[in-house]
Amino acid sequence: MLNYVMRRGFMALLVALTVSFGTFALFHFATDPAQTIAGEDAPQEMVDDIREQYGFDRPLSAQYFSWLGGVLRGDFGESFFWKQPVVELIKDHVGVTVTLALSSLSVTMLIALPLGIGAALRPNSWMDRFALSTAVSAQAIPNFWLGLMLIILFAVTFPIFPVSGDATWRHFVMPAFVLGASSVPAVMRLTRTGLLDVLASDYIRTARAKGFIGYRLVLQQALRNAMLPIVSVLAVQLGYKLGGSVVTESVFSMNGLGRLAVESIFNSDIPTVQSLILIFVMTFVVLTLAADLINAWLDPRIRMG
Amino acid sequence: MKTRYSVQIGARIAILLAAIGLTVPATAGQSDDTLVVALAKPLTTVDRLYSVQREGLIVSRLTDDGLFFVDPDTLEFVPLAAESYEWVTDTELDVTLRDGIAFHDGSTLTAEDVVYTFEWVLNEDSDTSRGPVIRSWLESVEKTGPLEVRFNLKLPYPMALRDMAVSIPLRKKGTYSDGGPDSGGQVLNGIGPYRVTDFSAGRDIVLERFGDYYEASPKVNPAIANIKFRVIADQGTQQAELLSGGIDLMMGVAPDVADNVQYLPNVARLEGNDIRIGYITLDAAGFSDPDTPFTNRKVRRAVNHAINREEITKYLMRGSAEVVDFACHPRQFGCNGEGPRYEFDPEKARKLLTEAGYPDGFSFKLWAYREKIIAEAIVSDLREVGLDVDLRFVKLNVFSKVRNDKDMEAFFASYGSGGTADASASTGVHFAANSARNYTGDEALAKRVLAAEQTINPDRRKRLYREALNRIADQAYWVPMFSYSQNYLLSPELEFPVPKDGVPRLWQASWRE
Repeated sequence: MLNYVMRRGFMALLVALTVSFGTFALFHFATDPAQTIAGEDAPQEMVDDIREQYGFDRPLSAQYFSWLGGVLRGDFGESFFWKQPVVELIKDHVGVTVTLALSSLSVTMLIALPLGIGAALRPNSWMDRFALSTAVSAQAIPNFWLGLMLIILFAVTFPIFPVSGDATWRHFVMPAFVLGASSVPAVMRLTRTGLLDVLASDYIRTARAKGFIGYRLVLQQALRNAMLPIVSVLAVQLGYKLGGSVVTESVFSMNGLGRLAVESIFNSDIPTVQSLILIFVMTFVVLTLAADLINAWLDPRIRMG
Repeated sequence: MKTRYSVQIGARIAILLAAIGLTVPATAGQSDDTLVVALAKPLTTVDRLYSVQREGLIVSRLTDDGLFFVDPDTLEFVPLAAESYEWVTDTELDVTLRDGIAFHDGSTLTAEDVVYTFEWVLNEDSDTSRGPVIRSWLESVEKTGPLEVRFNLKLPYPMALRDMAVSIPLRKKGTYSDGGPDSGGQVLNGIGPYRVTDFSAGRDIVLERFGDYYEASPKVNPAIANIKFRVIADQGTQQAELLSGGIDLMMGVAPDVADNVQYLPNVARLEGNDIRIGYITLDAAGFSDPDTPFTNRKVRRAVNHAINREEITKYLMRGSAEVVDFACHPRQFGCNGEGPRYEFDPEKARKLLTEAGYPDGFSFKLWAYREKIIAEAIVSDLREVGLDVDLRFVKLNVFSKVRNDKDMEAFFASYGSGGTADASASTGVHFAANSARNYTGDEALAKRVLAAEQTINPDRRKRLYREALNRIADQAYWVPMFSYSQNYLLSPELEFPVPKDGVPRLWQASWRE
């Protein structure tokens, strides 16, 4: 298992380095960071001064390895745009994203798991049709549209929740629902099909014969095995939410990592973008690894190899 | 029975909602005397010396004063913290300060503070955003009395008062003793009519009226006690905040959005002028390709004739936008060109293209980064005269890179001149020899523009700008398009004079009785 973890870690590092160099090179070939930092209407003297001040006139490789050297020493550099250490910037924004990701994952689980279980227990019933049509609707509705509709309904027409910001728990209700709803179809369908498969298996038939019935049978016997693919999907979904809640954070004007990433890209804030990409890549790898370990814990056959 | 059950459930839900207090308290408006303004872009600092953003300029007009001031009515540069000034020679400016101006920390402004501020900007290690420009014309500053200061210029520079008014807020001596400003949570010590009470980079900025603001200032006694800026990038979200009472004012609204939203309840609309102009630059020097057809003056003139600027301005820009004929805003000092004007005439455009050797037109890429609808209208007009235009609509950071690399045959862009009502703010940036925006390759023009920037005499400046603008028009280096119109959506409770230069002065805002 240790070898497996180390191998995955090494691959993750390789992927992260490749992506970070690609991002760095793309930024320099496609944009002029000095002009972007100076601003749209800046005079030439200011642009030239910034180019020299930030070292953009140095060779590309020197700039990249200087950044990488800093990262290896635990120094992610200073944001060109915000003029503060990237680590501080990330610390400042990560709380919002983690809160949003976890609350939206809770929304997903609270909606998708009961719907999936209900649909699997009564296939082709009204419950099943309701669950499937909910999944289809959730898949068809774009995040930003659902966000705007919720804002119009619950913030403008009936002012129950605030439109934007992240100061209180109220600010998280609508974005968590929007972000959580987007993952419902995948998790609901997996729960339904996984549970249907398990419920049709021999050991469930044996369990029924031994007297296990109803929710005891489902929760204690069937769900544990049906959870394997669901755990993997939830891990990936959590990764998306941690790294890619860009639209939701923008619509609800929340100061999370997604919005920070977008602003940094538009401002050619290379140290911040590279650090965020490194973090997003590592988050995915750690989460998928964690999902594998949980699956191994849930299913002894995986542990056995 | 069923009905009674529903009523019970409904009542319980209502009680529950009331109990947990889910209704959102109003955060903006007259009731708590707090004006809440939406900012589309985050501010990294409230210190104008370290900010180049337009949002920073809007905030600094509340928190800071410079020696001079842009008069909102005339757009001229007049004394503010300065009581009077005198040009001793073309390169020596004496300034006398007003007595009894207080900083937000209670200390009093002295000549030493003024000297400190300018010396800090001149110091290369200070890394202020203003340094490169100020260092290009200012040699030194010296105290000549308790309230008297002399500025020694490197060369005659008529825009010195502008730079002092727009770019250099005054700072207390020793403000930056431990280096530059800390962008996170700094407290700004300015002399403006509002003081910063809370700021975190990228989030809210909270200001309160400064009680000891000096009586002699034209900005004295602002009507509203508190101003709060909220960073809301998405315009749809800003609209929702305005409708729900979360904000009182949104700026820079697109005309079509303003047209629709203004009819909703609790929304008023204002629109007015802006110094910003839109234009198309053509690669007359052949930087992007030595063989580009745009090196031919007839082709450039054909492009000028092919675009229906009147209709684009009237139907797409709308509001108070106007067609401009020269490379400056008509309200700017020195914007007095007389050279050729190019009326919309597709037939003439086709004839000129034929004469230039392109009877079947040619293909080229038009780059743009804002007002896509305008760029598409331009493309449509150019296609009508046989030009095969490929629109490259990109983000600003990509646009800047390609433009600065001199890799564009033609681009549609805009320039706001920092709200400065002087032609130097536009022509210098676009036609100076060292400018990445200069696609003319015209050295004589660059020399004339530089001469205008280094001349104090107003009449001579006007003459030099007239010559430069006529040359630009004659050679058709640009297609000057239009001036912009600013749209504001605001709470009907709010009164707010529309600025003439596109830079809102929120100290003039008040609540309706």
